Amino acid sequence: MSQAKPYRGRSVVVAFVLVLGFGAVLSRLIDLQILQAAKLGEKAEQQHHKAAVVEGRRGGIYDRQGRILAMNMEVPSVYGVPTSVEHPGRVARDLTRVLPVRADEIERKLRQKRNFVWIARKLDPERGRRVESLSLRGIGTVIEGRRFYPKRPLLSHVLGFTGLDGHGLEGIERRYESTLRGHSRRVILQRDALGRTVFPKGLSELGPHSGNDISLTIDEVIQYVAEKELLDAVNTSGAKGGVVIVMEPTSGEVLAMAVNPRFDPNAVRSLSADSWRNRAVTDAYEPGSTLKIVIAAAALEEKLMTPSSMVFAENGRMLVANTVIHDHEKSGWLTFADVIRRSSNIGAVKIATRLGEERVHRYLRAFGFGERTEIDLPGETAGLVKSPEAWGERTLASIAIGQGIGVTAVQLATAVSAVANGGWLMKPYLVSAIRDQQGRLIAQVSPQVRRRPITAETARVLSKILESVVREGTGRRAAVPSYRVAGKTGTAQKYDLEANAYSSTRFVASFVGYVPARDPRLTIVVVIDEPQGEAWGGVVAAPVFRRVAEQVLPYLGISTHAPVELALVTTG
Amino acid sequence: MSGRAIDEGTLSLPWPTSRSRKRANADGLLLGVTLLLAFMGLVMVFSASAVMAGNRFHDSLFFLKRQMAWLALGFLVLHIVSRLDYTVWRKLALPILAVTAVLLILVLIPSLGLMIKGARRWLPLGPISVQPAEIVKLATVFYLAAFLAKGQDRVREFTSGLIPPLIVVGLLGGLILLQPDLGTVALIGLVAFGLLFLGGARISHLAGLVLVVVPLAAAFVLRSSYRRQRLMTFLDPWEDPSAAGFQVTQSFLAFGNGGLFGVGLGEGKQKLFFLPEAHTDFVLALVGEELGLIGTATIMALFGVLVFKGFQIAGRAREPFGRYLAMGITLLIACQVLFNAGVATGLLPTKGLTLPFVSYGGSSVVMSLLGVGILLNISRDRQGGRQKAGSGRGHGGVGLL
Repeated sequence: MSQAKPYRGRSVVVAFVLVLGFGAVLSRLIDLQILQAAKLGEKAEQQHHKAAVVEGRRGGIYDRQGRILAMNMEVPSVYGVPTSVEHPGRVARDLTRVLPVRADEIERKLRQKRNFVWIARKLDPERGRRVESLSLRGIGTVIEGRRFYPKRPLLSHVLGFTGLDGHGLEGIERRYESTLRGHSRRVILQRDALGRTVFPKGLSELGPHSGNDISLTIDEVIQYVAEKELLDAVNTSGAKGGVVIVMEPTSGEVLAMAVNPRFDPNAVRSLSADSWRNRAVTDAYEPGSTLKIVIAAAALEEKLMTPSSMVFAENGRMLVANTVIHDHEKSGWLTFADVIRRSSNIGAVKIATRLGEERVHRYLRAFGFGERTEIDLPGETAGLVKSPEAWGERTLASIAIGQGIGVTAVQLATAVSAVANGGWLMKPYLVSAIRDQQGRLIAQVSPQVRRRPITAETARVLSKILESVVREGTGRRAAVPSYRVAGKTGTAQKYDLEANAYSSTRFVASFVGYVPARDPRLTIVVVIDEPQGEAWGGVVAAPVFRRVAEQVLPYLGISTHAPVELALVTTG
Repeated sequence: MSGRAIDEGTLSLPWPTSRSRKRANADGLLLGVTLLLAFMGLVMVFSASAVMAGNRFHDSLFFLKRQMAWLALGFLVLHIVSRLDYTVWRKLALPILAVTAVLLILVLIPSLGLMIKGARRWLPLGPISVQPAEIVKLATVFYLAAFLAKGQDRVREFTSGLIPPLIVVGLLGGLILLQPDLGTVALIGLVAFGLLFLGGARISHLAGLVLVVVPLAAAFVLRSSYRRQRLMTFLDPWEDPSAAGFQVTQSFLAFGNGGLFGVGLGEGKQKLFFLPEAHTDFVLALVGEELGLIGTATIMALFGVLVFKGFQIAGRAREPFGRYLAMGITLLIACQVLFNAGVATGLLPTKGLTLPFVSYGGSSVVMSLLGVGILLNISRDRQGGRQKAGSGRGHGGVGLL
């Protein structure tokens, strides 16, 4: 009776009101999405150009003691808002007095139909202040990060550098780009009370968006010593360049990696790409006699030889496949140890021949030659080790004396470290830890064994022979007073591509060794490229080893005495 | 007054119905529309929030995972409630009202309520936080439906019929205003007005109510600077490129940029940093940009079907409580959709109401699905279906009910 009627009528009224509401929304949607679509779409498009990409702070690079090697400087960049600039010509003339940019170029930028243009980026702070003091309408400055290497050329080949956009282009900067790089953010340019376009406030407080810091295994002091001694040796011998690597043999940590010629990563653009190359990992060379360490290790491991086994050295002259092989010192019968000590080519060839192609190749590969060490640097080469099927009749003999094979300095340092540490081939590495901006540890790198090419016994026996190389053989100039040093010299003729023969004037002189011999703490590889005059590894490279070791050993507090073997004391 | 009279009254609906009334299964179309809206919402929430969540939480699925969990909970609630005799809500109306009032007081206590963006709207409960205002909406509808169903003609009386609901709604509204949450107050006020109108209140009473409430509301809005700002922004958003106008103009740009067909799912640029709350209050603008008018019209059409089904279910309900309950829930959803869409398209000033089923937000999703669950249960009890115990009761009384 009473209720039904009003409900029926009134529900029609409510339904009608709702239909009106839905109708209003739908017509408004049609208005916005059809009728006004072109205008609004254009506005949206314009607005998207109003966003600028801002990079978060890039992480720093530190040495193993926390000393800064690469950092960010906060520097001003100058931008323009063409829509707010009233007289582009006049503004451009004012700016060109302060900025290193030509007036017509500034004017061209300011006449563009855009909401935002960069005029000059990453300037001296002083220039930024002067631009601000001009207080030009439509011109502003914003703080950006510029990469700065406070130690100038120190470690430049390892650190690498970044481009203008802040991306790592070489070295650690490139290899760890994603770690170091701050997250980039699009920032909407806002209008302030006067209607000027500005960056939002607090732009420099991009805390959580900063990149991570990297700690290297490098020690700045050791790096400095290595670079200085390398530079001296290169200068006095008139060489083209060289490499010194200092490595901790038990872990594979690289303590120093010096490459000459050097460059300043703060001023890269004026240099050729050739000078950036980290030759310690990107360039393979023929190692010469230093490779005899591998041949000797193989012969001992295979029990073909003992240190006192006799080898006939043919009185300094032997014919192998129509090629004459000479010894520097003519000898008759030599012990196996003497072959290494005097670096007898003929002895090494005879030992390699007894090992045979397959075993020589197997040991070369076991010691990591012909494969990348996977060190954390970009552009590493694997070197060149052909497989025995591709060897000619002279190849085995060539390899025995370190020719016909390409190795990198870092491969050699790793291989010799395996002899030093009792037979373990380690993975060399440069980055030891990654921390975020709050200093919290994100990743820590621990030493990594790649494989074990020889037993501890072989390593011990070989080590004694290598000690005698320095004590009384070709490596006497590497000797460090009151320390036992083990090592091997190398003098390789460079292959002359034009003459299609080994050059008699261009050499690579090298020395590889470790110290203290009985408890090795440092492996040092010295490679000098094309020394003039006296070119022997024992004369040019061995003294560099000595001078580096002599300064680094006391710096690291490494005692002169062999460690006392501690007897195990059992309590109870 | 008898049950029969009500039945006769609802026999003739203002629109023709073709389907047989003999069946008493839950309404499949209503459930289907709800599912479709929830699915569209899930897709849009992911599209809206992926980049932002990736930046803020380092997990681009952050909001998607949460929304999926809430939807799962919501549909479970819907399933249970659709099998629960709806008359239980009549018995629970007053207890729920009391609990809601307590929650609304608790949320205002600084040490309990969570302050987000200057408003105290969230009550943290363990790992989640609940918005009491979402519960108030349904609690008000339960109460009004029970009140109107009990004393059928009482609503025509001023003191016994109009004053009790006005006091209840006024008190709840006052508590919500303290948060402050003007949007929810306007919503329950409008729904209460609609239910009183449908329940048979005198036009003169209702007109008087409008004459009292509207000036009060105007005074309230103009007294607070931020509300005045919102109102001014609404009147001319383009002249106010500050934070308040920003949202609305960005919403316009999103709709316009989408045009008829949209820029493509996931391709919207506005959500990246221009359109704040793209996954909550302004999700319709995101639909507009990515799926175009096709997408927004589809969403509005789905809601239209849902509201139509609500009216139909109310009209076929066997007894007054079911009818008012169904109308209340339907009005709640309809008004919230209109408020939300109105704000996004600039027809109404900014309010902060979600788009039911579609927007991100746990309380909103669960309570909306609970409402649909009740509608589904009422639809089972339609005329010509099985007899229901306890239906048709209704005696005049005193007090709040």
